[in-house]
Amino acid sequence: MIQVNEETRGDWRIVTVAGRADGEAADALEAALRSAVEANARVVADFSGLTYISSASLRSVLQAARAAQTRGSEFAICGLNQFVKEVFETTGLHRLLRIYGELPC
Amino acid sequence: MLTMLEEVVLLAVDENSGALRSTRPYGTAYALVGAVFFDLALARKIDTDTERIQILDRNPTGSTTLDRVLAAMAQRGDITSVRQWIEEIFSRRDDLEGEALASLIRQGILRHEKSKRLWIIDVERFPMADNRPQRDVRVRLAETILSDTIPETRDIMLVSLADSCGLLGYVLSSEQIARRRERIELLSNLETISRKVAVAIGDLEDSVRQGLPRMM
Repeated sequence: MIQVNEETRGDWRIVTVAGRADGEAADALEAALRSAVEANARVVADFSGLTYISSASLRSVLQAARAAQTRGSEFAICGLNQFVKEVFETTGLHRLLRIYGELPC
Repeated sequence: MLTMLEEVVLLAVDENSGALRSTRPYGTAYALVGAVFFDLALARKIDTDTERIQILDRNPTGSTTLDRVLAAMAQRGDITSVRQWIEEIFSRRDDLEGEALASLIRQGILRHEKSKRLWIIDVERFPMADNRPQRDVRVRLAETILSDTIPETRDIMLVSLADSCGLLGYVLSSEQIARRRERIELLSNLETISRKVAVAIGDLEDSVRQGLPRMM
């Protein structure tokens, strides 16, 4: 189960995601990120409250990034804890996505 | 829409002769098991993390092949790792290729022809009845590898399966594959199922090279 909150700071839309991004949360995660990407030119997903991410949710993140790329908008991720960071590095997703240590705004 | 299993088997059919082809015969059986797991993942029946596999939904998909594997998984709660499940389904020696071919024939994409070679040896061929689905798979595969954009999930899976089965050479030139090898590796590494299939194939090919009986 994930909790999603959104706020605007400067020209960034911040989507804060907390909890376990497992297979049952994947649809909600993709819907939240895609919705933000479709309505904003710059979106950052703050994953600092994320404790777990599964393959299904990783696909959701990647497809949101794909939607941003198609629209020509900016999509980034920040605040990965050690576990989630290791997952991104194991899969190589860090090579396809823009990842910041902290919020870029 | 075709399943991942059907797409990779369709890619293996020679569009001119209808013969099945692969440059990595030892890897293909593992890759087809990976394709079934991809189909179950796309149907939101299973999920994985970097090591483990989890059943999300035990309700049937409507596909005989997928439902048989899903039912087997539901009965074996003691197996939890992706690698163990790949080995378990591989060891059952299900005719995944034959089931996909039968489905493609039922859908009017392939025909089934049997003939004799030297009056004795049975030869099976699967000529195209409709070559558009294979053309679509080939175009998606080439575009995914040759571009630098983020691909759709199905196309990421397709690249890893085609590479594991040794089918990329039937779509791209050797020079294109060599030039885009880094991209192919990047996409193939994204999915846990692909990574574990690659390890299983590597272990099997090592065993074959060394002429040793394979340890399960």
